[in-house]
Amino acid sequence: MSGISIPKQTATIALSQRQKRFLKALLYHVFVGIIGLAMLYPILWMVAASFKESSEIWTNVRALLPETLRFENYTNGWKGIGGITFTTYYKNSFIYAGLGTVFQVAASAIVAYGFARVDFVGKKLWFTLMLATLMLPDQVRMIPQYIVFDRLGWINTFYPLLLPRLGGAPFFIFMIVQFIRGIPTELDEAALIDGCSKSGIFFRIILPQLKPAIITATIFSFYWTWDDFMTPFIYLTRPELHTVSVALRSFSDPASATDWGAIFAMSSLSLLPVFIIFIFFQRYLVEGIATTGLKG
Amino acid sequence: MKALRYSLVLVLVALLALPAAAIYGQETIELQLTWWGSQTRHDKTIAVIEMFEAEHPNIDIIYEFSNFTDYWTLLSTKAASGSLPDVMQHDYAYLAEWALRGQLMPLDDFIADGTIDLSNVAQSVVDSGKIDGQTYGVSLGANSQAFILDVDAFEAAGLELPSPDWTWTEFEEVVTQIHDELGIWGFGTLLDDEALWKSLLIGHGEWAFSDDGTELGYEDDQPMIDHLNMILRLQETGGIPTIEEEIEFDTTGPEGSPLVIGKSAIQYQWSNQVLAVANAAGPERHFKLWHLPRPEGGQSSNYVKPSMFFSIPASAEHPEEAAMFIDFFTNSLEANEILAAERGVPVSAPVRDHLLPNLDPVMAETFDFLVRVEADSSPVPPPDPPGYADLRLNVYGPQFVDVVRFGEMSPEDAVAFFREEANRILAQNK
Amino acid sequence: MGGRVASLETASPLDRIRARWFTRKTQYSLSRNNLVGYLFVSPWLIGFFLFSLIPIAASLVLAFTDYDLLGNDIRFIGLENFDRMFTQDLRYWKSVNATLRYVFFAVPLRLTFALGVAMLLNTKRRGVYLYRAAYYTPSIVGGSVAVAVMWRQIFGTDGLVNALFGLDVRWYGDPKYALWTLITLAVWQFGSPMLIFLAGLRQIPNELYEASSIDGANAGQRFLRITLPMLTPIIFFNLVMQTIQNFQQFTQAFVITGGNGRPLDRTLLYPLYLYRRAFVNYEMGYASAMSWVLLLTIAVLTAVLFVSSGRWVFYHGDNR
Repeated sequence: MSGISIPKQTATIALSQRQKRFLKALLYHVFVGIIGLAMLYPILWMVAASFKESSEIWTNVRALLPETLRFENYTNGWKGIGGITFTTYYKNSFIYAGLGTVFQVAASAIVAYGFARVDFVGKKLWFTLMLATLMLPDQVRMIPQYIVFDRLGWINTFYPLLLPRLGGAPFFIFMIVQFIRGIPTELDEAALIDGCSKSGIFFRIILPQLKPAIITATIFSFYWTWDDFMTPFIYLTRPELHTVSVALRSFSDPASATDWGAIFAMSSLSLLPVFIIFIFFQRYLVEGIATTGLKG
Repeated sequence: MKALRYSLVLVLVALLALPAAAIYGQETIELQLTWWGSQTRHDKTIAVIEMFEAEHPNIDIIYEFSNFTDYWTLLSTKAASGSLPDVMQHDYAYLAEWALRGQLMPLDDFIADGTIDLSNVAQSVVDSGKIDGQTYGVSLGANSQAFILDVDAFEAAGLELPSPDWTWTEFEEVVTQIHDELGIWGFGTLLDDEALWKSLLIGHGEWAFSDDGTELGYEDDQPMIDHLNMILRLQETGGIPTIEEEIEFDTTGPEGSPLVIGKSAIQYQWSNQVLAVANAAGPERHFKLWHLPRPEGGQSSNYVKPSMFFSIPASAEHPEEAAMFIDFFTNSLEANEILAAERGVPVSAPVRDHLLPNLDPVMAETFDFLVRVEADSSPVPPPDPPGYADLRLNVYGPQFVDVVRFGEMSPEDAVAFFREEANRILAQNK
Repeated sequence: MGGRVASLETASPLDRIRARWFTRKTQYSLSRNNLVGYLFVSPWLIGFFLFSLIPIAASLVLAFTDYDLLGNDIRFIGLENFDRMFTQDLRYWKSVNATLRYVFFAVPLRLTFALGVAMLLNTKRRGVYLYRAAYYTPSIVGGSVAVAVMWRQIFGTDGLVNALFGLDVRWYGDPKYALWTLITLAVWQFGSPMLIFLAGLRQIPNELYEASSIDGANAGQRFLRITLPMLTPIIFFNLVMQTIQNFQQFTQAFVITGGNGRPLDRTLLYPLYLYRRAFVNYEMGYASAMSWVLLLTIAVLTAVLFVSSGRWVFYHGDNR
């Protein structure tokens, strides 16, 4: 009797283990999926609103789906203001966000290595100072900054937006420093013994391991630059130099008529480049360092 | 490694490409112009600019625009840097502050020699741009405060429209009745607005500020106490939104305002914004513009005020051409056909007459309202004194009326506090 | 050192690896590194002297003046701005109050959420790409006017939250709740710390987890003994940066509330008030003084965090 029951038991155990794994996966997907939907709801609403009649946005508040699909919101919105279309705004945004990101991330990685791995006189002082620059609100730096750039004749050029980025950004410098400090020094030492210079270590050993940090920085830098309003607004004042963020703000005024349908359409559309950058880069984020780890 | 080399090349290419973005010609006169508004105004103004450029091939207008809030951030930044444009749109609330601090150019010479032809503009309108006897702004449109009445709602509630010289007592009755009949708010938001505070005083034949702008210009706080008590009663009964409900409408603009979304029957608005409200509400709704209520036995609380100005900053490089543009904007019939009174009812009489036959119903009602108001209006009060923005934004709203409406202070205590704070701020103008 | 090595022989594989990873080491002399160090940080140094130093110095000087943005004469008024701020300006303290409450709730909530979600999404399960995108998306909507309308749709009287939970709360207008509309927005947009946590989690070598499974540690132990300590540099970074950033929260708050501080100044975040003083009332001198008080406050808090970090942050690759 017992001889027969043993294989049965193992069979049930095997089954229940698979079931258990399946249940676990199911639980995970239900849990994470439902929260994910909740997270997405406001954005779904916003995209849905971009197809609504302007008045419907305000009256038909709770409804997610529009009564009629109005693609005109997109065509009207794209026309932009005074003959300058969103084609121009996107071009400007891409110049600012594209170059701005490359400058900022590349410079930040280089500076971060200096702070994280090289001991030099005054390092702590400079690092502290760098963090301190983050603590002063932009609102009071803006005017003196503007006066300087104005005197240089840089208003309505991309210089004030891009050149400061060649110095890196304290946020990313600090972030990458933290990541470098998480990389064991054994490899550095080995490379040093092999006769590798500091810059050699940076490019050959540190940089490949920094992939997750660099990608994260790229995603943020692009988004923050794309979304930045104040800098392009005060330095690129001519309509043909407006970025998407600036154009969207000049669409609406609290005291006059506003085409909300067009605003929602263009706002939704303006999320796309940022979203694509994220989707594209996060792939590399996942493949990140974990598997290569120490093998270098 | 490869990626890095690529990005280095990219950086170099970018650096070389940068100056290309900075090239602008300098052959003709570049006239700089800025204004605030939303898309409608931007499009109309740009069309008029192109018209002006066609007439003056040697003038190239470089224009900039933004919404109201951002506009003042940008323009004060430019002021600090001494790089204001040649023509800037200006606001009644800021004109004195800017003029008295030397940022604006007096326009009297241009007006005297006819570069800016104001011969067809009423003297009271011309005077509304004067600070200390000199003209610093040319009005772009006449404006008055209005109560927009939802005619359909009044009908549904079985109410007659009030008489044009209705009083605040009648107002309270009407608002309460509408709420009782229809369950919506009788009146929407901003019954505690600072412009209504000023109008209340005008109704009593007084003005908010003393002639020299160094203190409050009235002695008797009772009218404001009464007004606040009425607000408290109405927000209690549902005649108006409670303060908690009202705050939700802070950022909605005309499209999301209570009247438009059918939550109230009366809305308070400046007359040049009525078009936006009507457009948002749709053609099937019927509105009428109405006088502000007046105090029992008092005079009209309405006055006609410039909706906005064009000014020439003191640092302007081409004041002569700037003046020419302002003249064009004010007097050109064709230009005003495009502008279509979007900035308020045009100040030039011939322009008004020219537009009159072809007005759409909402505009016609606006024009008509201003005629009615002018027939029985109080004189235009002087522009607000410097420090007014401080008083309005840091004291009147947050520390005075809101506190009363939240029940944290009695109206009596609050007006005393307000008087003290206001006089302290205004005393800095001595 | 010797004691440590001796103990390693009796330790479990996990402890041995942990010991190797978390041991501090000494390295090379300073002098030969000076040139290299300055070369690496030179982009930032040059940028700092060219673009940051003047505005920062200017704002410090202006803090002691009555500079009003439009006027041409600037007077030195000593400590008057600070005196006014601390003893006369009633709204100032309300803005301090609102800001402290905001930071106190928004930062820990945001970080906890971010870490929790990052842990959940740090897996190779099918579909995790989708989830990652879904959880990050709220963080890319930024602070456009559309966001204001969207948020109103959620917290408005007729909005989703009231409908879903059968409530009748005035989230915007009630002084008790108004700040929470802003805090919730900050928490909802937790994407940036989450992504940094995720990158940090990816950086933890599998070796450690493999060793721990030999060791027979369960999930909870693995989290407490490996994940958490290995992640401390990133947690520290996020904590410092979120503190700095949330003290300066401006755009979202400005768009959602219009920046007026209503109701009863409960949403009057410090930067909003500072902006008003600077650009609406033209009191740039006063605003500069306010900025430097803010800077000092954040600096002290950050310094406290840095000092405390010696006790709880492990840099396993560090040489100090």
